[in-house]
Amino acid sequence: MENPLRQGIRLEQAAEPCTVVIFGASGDLTKRKLVPALYRLVQQRLLPAEFGIVGLARTEMSDDDFRVKMRESVAQFSEAKTVDDEVWQSFAQGLYYLTADIGTADDYRKLAGLLERIDRERGTGGNRLFYLSVAPRFYAAAVEQLGRAGLTKPKDGSWVRVIIEKPFGSDLESARLLNQQIHASLDESQIYRIDHYLGKETVQNLLAFRFANGIFEPLWNRHYIDHVQITNAEAVGVEGRGGYYETAGVVRDMIQNHVFQVLSLVAMEPPAHLGSEAVRDEKIKAMTAARNFTPERVKAECVRGQYGPGSIDGKPVPGYRQEEGVAPDSTTETFAMLTMYFDNWRWAGVPFYIRSGKHLPKRVTEIAIQFQTAPHQLFGADVMEQVTPNQLIIRIQPDEGITLRFAVKVPGQITHIRDVNMDFRYGTSFGVQLAEAYERLLLDCILGDSTLYARKDMTERGWEIVMPILDYWAGTKGEGSFPNYEAGTWGPQAADELMERNGSRWRRP
Amino acid sequence: MWSGVSEGGDASSKAGVTRACALNLLVYTTPWDDHGRLEDLLERINEQHPGRTLVLVAYRDTATPRLEGYVSMRCRLLGGTGKQICGEQVTIEAGGPLLETAATAIAPLLVSDVPVYLWWKDIPHYEDKLFDRLAQMADRIVIDSAAFDHPYDDLLRLSKMIDDKSRRMRVSDLNWGRLTSWRTLLASFWDVPAYRPLLDEIDRVTIKYRSPQDAPEEIAPKALLLAGWLASRLGWEVVGTAVGKATRGTEEGAVCELRAGDRSIALAFVRDETAGPDDVIISTVTLSAKNGAANFSVAKRTDGSKLETEAQIGSERSVGRVLAYEIRTEAAQLSRELAFLSRDAIYEAAVARVAQLVETIRNQKTTP
Ligand SMILES: NC(=O)c1ccc[n+]([C@@H]2O[C@H](COP(=O)([O-])OP(=O)(O)OC[C@H]3O[C@@H](n4cnc5c(N)ncnc54)[C@H](OP(=O)(O)O)[C@@H]3O)[C@@H](O)[C@H]2O)c1
Repeated sequence: MENPLRQGIRLEQAAEPCTVVIFGASGDLTKRKLVPALYRLVQQRLLPAEFGIVGLARTEMSDDDFRVKMRESVAQFSEAKTVDDEVWQSFAQGLYYLTADIGTADDYRKLAGLLERIDRERGTGGNRLFYLSVAPRFYAAAVEQLGRAGLTKPKDGSWVRVIIEKPFGSDLESARLLNQQIHASLDESQIYRIDHYLGKETVQNLLAFRFANGIFEPLWNRHYIDHVQITNAEAVGVEGRGGYYETAGVVRDMIQNHVFQVLSLVAMEPPAHLGSEAVRDEKIKAMTAARNFTPERVKAECVRGQYGPGSIDGKPVPGYRQEEGVAPDSTTETFAMLTMYFDNWRWAGVPFYIRSGKHLPKRVTEIAIQFQTAPHQLFGADVMEQVTPNQLIIRIQPDEGITLRFAVKVPGQITHIRDVNMDFRYGTSFGVQLAEAYERLLLDCILGDSTLYARKDMTERGWEIVMPILDYWAGTKGEGSFPNYEAGTWGPQAADELMERNGSRWRRP
Repeated sequence: MWSGVSEGGDASSKAGVTRACALNLLVYTTPWDDHGRLEDLLERINEQHPGRTLVLVAYRDTATPRLEGYVSMRCRLLGGTGKQICGEQVTIEAGGPLLETAATAIAPLLVSDVPVYLWWKDIPHYEDKLFDRLAQMADRIVIDSAAFDHPYDDLLRLSKMIDDKSRRMRVSDLNWGRLTSWRTLLASFWDVPAYRPLLDEIDRVTIKYRSPQDAPEEIAPKALLLAGWLASRLGWEVVGTAVGKATRGTEEGAVCELRAGDRSIALAFVRDETAGPDDVIISTVTLSAKNGAANFSVAKRTDGSKLETEAQIGSERSVGRVLAYEIRTEAAQLSRELAFLSRDAIYEAAVARVAQLVETIRNQKTTP
């Protein structure tokens, strides 16, 4: 039934009543992000009054203990640093806590009882969102237990959704297994796999830029584009997460999921509409056309790196092998460059160069489209020397924006040609506040919009593409002479050399 | 002018100046407006909607011909880059016989191909030649019905103006923008599927409001707009005669009768003078169904800092909450209106119902 009063209420979509159950409610993510995000969504009136939150973990706590704890974190992680008493009380009435262990079947019966009580008391209508904010090894068990307790099956007209945190698997096999396990109790449409590297606005900006402008799409192919560079650089190192990073590396941590999301948005065909399935269909289609890696291709077209001691922002930093939790002879890669091709009509023969790494000079994510040079050199070679081919740079962070680089004649008698930039920034031209990532993610899931979440096929395809690289590198540990780049530089020299061999150069972002 | 900016200073000459233009904002104002405040506001607007600003200061009370113009520029450094983003402003002061010709002075100053917004900081009278001319140039007109000093007359005139299809006037009302939080909260009751059927059983609506300073006898435009919105969205027809007074205890006010099929809906406007800051015009809105068996209400605290909602269905359930409410600055309100260009059909329908309500209430007043 349509709500006639909703019509025309600008930009604001209606969320249905529901209860959010957070697994791992005594953890870090819950207090830093999840509860503060839900609180803000309520204050922005994006969630209805018929709403409840259940925190769940093994730590013994009463509802009131949990409320006190959450009040502190909401104050701490909100801009204002304070919360109004009355406003908090009203919010806290909807907060509950259940001491429970993921592995104990009986605890799910308690959970079911509590959820029914909340439905009655707060009118939450049987809609449930389970947020698994626990270590990855618990994902499968939690879903299985929810299924056994009958909590994954929606009752008449209501919905049940599950958000799964990242990382999703650690290789193709584990990702497939996990998908199988959760599919035993859940339908794909109920599963929301977190992959929040790109904000919703960014995705939409990218789609709008490509498909709402008549002038770029005709050029967006092998006839006009020489190559594409995607840079995803972090200035930070492993920041105390050395232990985790040893089991991951940059390909698992960033490239397989996040960088591939960016890549697929650049390479995909126009979707029929902006619905989440239509967009995700096109993304997977593009990734399916990505050429698979072979050991020969890995050797010739990929580069790995690991940072040694160096300096960032003028401050000395230790090398990766000196970080806490890292083996002194570790061969984990903190930098990787991949050369990718899409074997399809649009992109045949166009290389996509991808690089991602830690302790690079600055935090930046950008896409640089390098167009082909003008077909005929009208101006002398000496004049053209200082001119690079046209470039279109789409910056994703830190300052989202678009730059078009083109050549103009310098005013004066002599013919001097120089590059100029035409700049556009989202942040300055439309001073809108970009919603916090977790607010957006939670709201989207409650609204049933999965655009920002990874679909089964995409998670598996991501792993499928990188497995030959990971396998080859794992089998040739001795070949890498790590460390091979100084912290605070743009990665190993081999990455630049590989570009040079192809007659190109990495852009300095 | 621009060459000066781009060459001045080392940093800027290297980094260059970005001149952005998303719209023309034409502001009509009077000499007794607070111009310092207006400048601050325009500065903030320019950050979000860079473009050309034209300020027309109208000296209506003088016979001396006057037409003067100044040009100035607004630049802002972009964080950390040394780049500047700039927009320009032209101020025109016009009076006496030259006032009407001001429109012809403005037309060539508009940047082509980007939309023109006219912010009419006064009550719009379309019999007024200057308003008419500027309105013809504009893609959208921004007004504020909260400032109407004869609310009934002005609202009727506004409704006629919007109705006049030959003018194709697209109106933004800042007062309507301020109703958004009320509309959102009221609408959100019916997002709950279990309450949805009750929407078709509403039989009483009570709106408590503070009367306008300039016209204490009349109902505040904001309260009328909210009622007009409910009536137009829910298909309630104004029956035409008002029935008695809304006397309930000590409350008093006007009651209109509306109809949806066989159902009759009593719409009561109740004066509530428990003063708060200027922003609190509406203090409570209650929709009742089934003779008071179900009540849905939204109330604003007298200090304007909080909103309280409650859905009470029989004795079985009552769900309520208290939310923080942040009063938007005028710049934020205007900025929001500048983001839209298309017609606001929901607003137009509400205004049309407001006109019917006003006529009904007036008739009631004149019949003894
Ligand atoms: N923190 C971040 O910023 C961040 C960012 C991205 C992704 N993630 C992902 O988000 C998830 C949670 O991260 P986190 O930083 O919040 O982890 P955390 O602080 O270690 O929290 C883990 C939570 O799981 C609970 N838990 C552990 N074993 C349990 C069991 N058997 N039954 C019930 N609860 C159990 C713990 O509570 P008890 O000990 O009380 O049971 C604790 O509340 C992880 O998957 C992580 O990869 C986190």
